[in-house]
Amino acid sequence: MSTENTALKVSNLSVSYGNVVAVHDATFTVAKGDACAITGPNGNGKSSILMGVTGMVRRRGGVEIFGAPAPSGDVRWAARHGLTLVPERRQLYPDLSAADNIILGCYAWTKSIGRARKSPSFGKAIELFPELKPHLKQAAGTLSGGEQQMVAIARGLASDPKILAVDEPCLGLAEAVAKRVYDVLAGIHEQGTTLIIVEEAPKRALTLCNRRVEVRNGVAADFRGDGPGEAGRT
Amino acid sequence: MKFGNLVIAGIVTGSIYAVFAVCVAVWYRVCNILNLAVGDFAMVGALGVDNLYRVKGLPLPVAIATTILVVGAFAYLYDQVVLRIAQDGPRRAEGIVVTFFFTFALSFFIDGVAKMLFGTDVHAAPALWSGQALTFASLHLERAGLLVLACAVIIGGAFWLYIRYTLGGKALEASGENVVGARIVGIDTRRYRRLIFVGTALIAAVFGIIESPITGYTYLSGATISLTGFLAAAYGGFRKPGRALVAGLAIGVLEALLGGYVSAEYGTTVLYAILAALVLAWPRGLGFESAVSG
Repeated sequence: MSTENTALKVSNLSVSYGNVVAVHDATFTVAKGDACAITGPNGNGKSSILMGVTGMVRRRGGVEIFGAPAPSGDVRWAARHGLTLVPERRQLYPDLSAADNIILGCYAWTKSIGRARKSPSFGKAIELFPELKPHLKQAAGTLSGGEQQMVAIARGLASDPKILAVDEPCLGLAEAVAKRVYDVLAGIHEQGTTLIIVEEAPKRALTLCNRRVEVRNGVAADFRGDGPGEAGRT
Repeated sequence: MKFGNLVIAGIVTGSIYAVFAVCVAVWYRVCNILNLAVGDFAMVGALGVDNLYRVKGLPLPVAIATTILVVGAFAYLYDQVVLRIAQDGPRRAEGIVVTFFFTFALSFFIDGVAKMLFGTDVHAAPALWSGQALTFASLHLERAGLLVLACAVIIGGAFWLYIRYTLGGKALEASGENVVGARIVGIDTRRYRRLIFVGTALIAAVFGIIESPITGYTYLSGATISLTGFLAAAYGGFRKPGRALVAGLAIGVLEALLGGYVSAEYGTTVLYAILAALVLAWPRGLGFESAVSG
């Protein structure tokens, strides 16, 4: 893979919480336009990889976003360079309205509410979810699980990401809602955004993803191919 | 008309409690620390201006500016040195130590320094707007009281506009709702911790300066104000600034009525007895559980 085609390059990434090592020496790259699944059993370090890459927790090892080396523990830097996280369990602001939740995604690049409201990224994020329209003024905590997931994705999109990292987007959602979430993610991918999706069950993720990184016991292995079983280590 | 005058006096002190309660509640939401030193900053404002103006002979505007500057600089340094090590360092302290200890210690520290600098007598900053109390029919309002109310309304209004109409204000609310969620969109919650702490110290100092001509302050006055602001914030579960505001006003009015009708001497004692009884009758209203467990 040539360097100018690389969206995200992770080398020897380690994340520990106190004495517990959650991720050990993970190395993988994601090309521009890829949809990459990070799969593996729960508690094996999938989310910690995303947390380390996006700067939510301190890490060792290198992370390059579009060729620029990312400082450890700086979420704002990562967001400004195009990498945004839609976290596990959504992490919304329950008492704020859905619209306020979404517009705060813009905080990554502006502090002006006027510019945020008029921005194409905010407009697109709102338009992508017509089902949220009647609920935009409602407190996010009162929305259904599926609607909350949509708000979380919309908040991620408002930051105008080139790489969107989504952690367990369908956790606790009914099958129909999960399908809708995946349809939206597929749409985002089609428009050129690079996707990284963390899923415990690879089956659904691999309907969309062309890449897969398998994590076991904090060790990441890069799989190639378009489905489980066809993998070869690189 | 005694009742009306007591209510007016109560609203004046209550507005201070309300503003302090909102400061305590908002700060707690952002960084999980209860500010028990808020009243001490008010005391330093009052006694500092008195000392510089009356004892050192500085012109009043210079005395006020110097005091406010010193309070702001001190609060900034305290955040940068103590709170930063406590909360941001690799060996961060957690739980009840952070929630209460650091600002409680700060309160004692400020009291000690104030005792050395200002002595133990009752003093007050000079009245900024001197003259007879304003009278409407048989209702009286001290000019200083009107200044306090005006200040409370301006500060409260500015804060409301900030929260309602700016992205920074919404980011502040988001930090209070969900710290992890706030960091995900790039909000620096430490910045808000510092901003609100320094802002609170400055607001407290200003209130101390304009209110002290009514009540007079000693180096120990801060603790009572902090305690009352803290209790008002507690009635909002430390997480609902709106309820803290109402509770602050209510406590102020109740305090004045008790002082006027029950006993000037034991009014405060009865007040705290009533507040304690309310806590017993309505424990869920108090946020101690959530405050301690975070």
